[in-house]
Amino acid sequence: MSAASTMSRPDSTTAPAAQRTKRARSDWTRTRATGFMLIASLLVLWEISARWGWIVSENWPPVTQIAKALIEALSSGELSIALLATLYRVMLGFAIGSVVAVALGILLGRNRLADRLIRPPIEVLRTMPGPAILPPLILLLGVEEALKVTVVSLASFFPVFVNAYAAVRGTDSTLLNTARTFRLGRSVTLRRMLLPAALPSIMAGMRISISIALTVAVIAEMVSGASGVGYFLMSMQYAMRADVMYAAVALLAVVGYALNRIFVAVEGRVLFWRSR
Amino acid sequence: MKCYARALSPGLRMMAGMAIGAWFCAHAAAQTPLRVTYLPTLDAVPMFMAMEKGYFKEEGVVVQATPSQGGAAAIPGLMGGAYDITFSNVVSTLLAQQQGFKLRVIAAGTKNDPSAKPVTGLLTRKADGIKSGKDFEGKSIAVNTRNGVIWLFARSWVKKTGGDPSKVMFKEVPFPQMGDALRNKQVDGIFTISPFADSATKEGDVVRAADPYTEVQPTADIGHFVTTEDFFQKNQEATRKFGRALRKGVQYVNANFKAPETQLLISTVTKLTPEIVATLPQMVMPERVYPEEYAKTMALMVDAGLLRSGVDLSSMIDPAQTK
Amino acid sequence: MRSWTIRVLTSVISFTVIFAVWQCASTLRWVNPVLLPPPSAIAPVAAALLVTGEFWGPLVQTLWLLAVGYAVACVSGVLVGLLVGRSERAYCLLEPLIEAIRPLPKPALVPIFFLFLGPGSAMKITMVSLAAFFPVLINTMQGVRGVDRVLLDTARTLGLSSFSLTSKIILPAALPLILSGMRVSLGLGLVLVILAEMLEADSGVGFQILDLQRSFQVKEMYSWIFVLAVAGVSLNSAFEWVEKRLTPWHSR
Repeated sequence: MSAASTMSRPDSTTAPAAQRTKRARSDWTRTRATGFMLIASLLVLWEISARWGWIVSENWPPVTQIAKALIEALSSGELSIALLATLYRVMLGFAIGSVVAVALGILLGRNRLADRLIRPPIEVLRTMPGPAILPPLILLLGVEEALKVTVVSLASFFPVFVNAYAAVRGTDSTLLNTARTFRLGRSVTLRRMLLPAALPSIMAGMRISISIALTVAVIAEMVSGASGVGYFLMSMQYAMRADVMYAAVALLAVVGYALNRIFVAVEGRVLFWRSR
Repeated sequence: MKCYARALSPGLRMMAGMAIGAWFCAHAAAQTPLRVTYLPTLDAVPMFMAMEKGYFKEEGVVVQATPSQGGAAAIPGLMGGAYDITFSNVVSTLLAQQQGFKLRVIAAGTKNDPSAKPVTGLLTRKADGIKSGKDFEGKSIAVNTRNGVIWLFARSWVKKTGGDPSKVMFKEVPFPQMGDALRNKQVDGIFTISPFADSATKEGDVVRAADPYTEVQPTADIGHFVTTEDFFQKNQEATRKFGRALRKGVQYVNANFKAPETQLLISTVTKLTPEIVATLPQMVMPERVYPEEYAKTMALMVDAGLLRSGVDLSSMIDPAQTK
Repeated sequence: MRSWTIRVLTSVISFTVIFAVWQCASTLRWVNPVLLPPPSAIAPVAAALLVTGEFWGPLVQTLWLLAVGYAVACVSGVLVGLLVGRSERAYCLLEPLIEAIRPLPKPALVPIFFLFLGPGSAMKITMVSLAAFFPVLINTMQGVRGVDRVLLDTARTLGLSSFSLTSKIILPAALPLILSGMRVSLGLGLVLVILAEMLEADSGVGFQILDLQRSFQVKEMYSWIFVLAVAGVSLNSAFEWVEKRLTPWHSR
């Protein structure tokens, strides 16, 4: 069972329908508005604490300054270029990791021997914390593109693999028996039966992976970077421009949310047969 | 075209051919770029000035520069062949040598200048009145990386001013966070660098208690450019050309630190705003390497337990750089 | 019995092949042996580390930080998950904030943590808790939401108090999902504790690995990575054993 990756709303009360609708329309406390108000009030608190000197530090600039810095950094292109570099790594690493994960998931799910031989190292690697693998990878791959894409691929690999493997293993035996009865060849069985059946699980895994890919790419850039948002964050910190740094962090939050939403939309189109 | 060529005497034709051939050779040699990584701080400005002023081009060298995050992070890349030359510090390089990474110092980088306004400093809260290593016993000092060059000099300073380093807690804090940690009483002293040092002492509640580099080893060599022994043996001339061009860049920056073009370059390289750049104290960059300083630092490292024993310095430094 | 021996055998073969390839790659110089020493060179260093018991100190330190952070995350994750799963008002209030914080890479938040918590255990535990909180929260929410309506209505009919309802009906029904979330959190927590130790280091396994890399003591570094790998696998296996005991009806 894979962990869910987004939150979904609890049901409304079991009151009669008409009453429910009437209450819902006038009951603004039941909309996300309260949540946004909470965020807004926290930001106001931040602004006041910075401007009135409750918290004095270069690392605590007022929110309005951060917003200004964000607009400047984006329009000057500095942050936009960094973002593009990061997204390139994210996409490439995610693609490599996912493709390998699906391929291995199918192979290991179907072939017992391959499963027994190849899965133990994968399991060990999965439980290894990523940051611990980073130092030896830095030694081996240097601090160039290869390192970052490898790290992102590794991180993207595991959620997709776990799901693909479980899905292939759990494929309804009726489907497989039908395929065998009709003497469908291996590749047709694969394309027409296995993949579509496993696809929902795989996509769920990919949705988790894309967020992880973004986070890992940024972390890799922070630790050993020369370009990208992670490196931009660090260099702004060291240039004593914390407002620009926080602006980049805010941008990351927005990009992360957007990636997630885009993926959900893509998932909806690909898995068109599923009613959501 | 043909009639013109025939008009030229054979001798002239041969000379023209040789000139064109030589131009091609020089150009081809210059085309293989030297891949250099640097720390995006003041230390890298002479190299960029040399690029801007064309000193590298004069020597027939093309430099391809990429930022890195210090010796410890860049040396592996150097060993793996991702770079040809990297900026490092004496401590990282000596540690690497000890572990069997064969490196060669090919140019000087930074050096402590006891006569100038300090670029680094050990800061404390004014109210505490901590003045010496002995005062720090039982307290904490923040350094950027444990077992790094800053830690080494902090520790040596504590020892020199009468304290027992084993009784001092050294905490690892990144430079940008040091000011906060000191103010919030999470550490009692911070060994930090410009511009963080200058901005922290602005308010007056934080003061410069000491200048560890100057008090321990006043003329210490701190940063330098290194390459692998392998690369050095195969490309000695190229590294020497790099060193010569760099030296000219150093001379220019030392002479014109406050000039607008230098200030602008500093801002571009370090990403500091022009206002902050204007407040930076001038750091005089060295033109050559001083092996005797390395020996002193090595002794400190042995004392601190970083090195088991001395490392052969003569095979580690390019003799041409010591003059 | 036989399938168990087959599994052990194939695992052994698998790892032997990997180590053999590693040994060749290193000794035959396909990779730089200074950067990737052969297992034969690392083994004595690793053995010394284990035999002298030197590895205990930092390992215990790391595991303790993980335990505290993980416990905080699980308890708060379940509590908030229960709240948000049952009350639409609470959900609307908290969801935007949670979704805003979740995608932020934790190292980007280090300046804020440092400002309020300073260097030390508090900061590391907070980073671990913050990361481990989300999977537990989301899964608890899903689990609570997915409780069979019939059960809930029956309980209401029988006049069960809110507390009994929660503890006797909702929690057990949601348990499989909650545990699944906790398993993800365990892995995530381990990642974060190592990361935190690398970012603000003074002791612990994460610091050891980073420090050894910085001083180029490569063999020692790999030995510690090995210790960490064993710890990670053990933690995971232990958790799966507990999970099986708690939810025997839930087949995987």
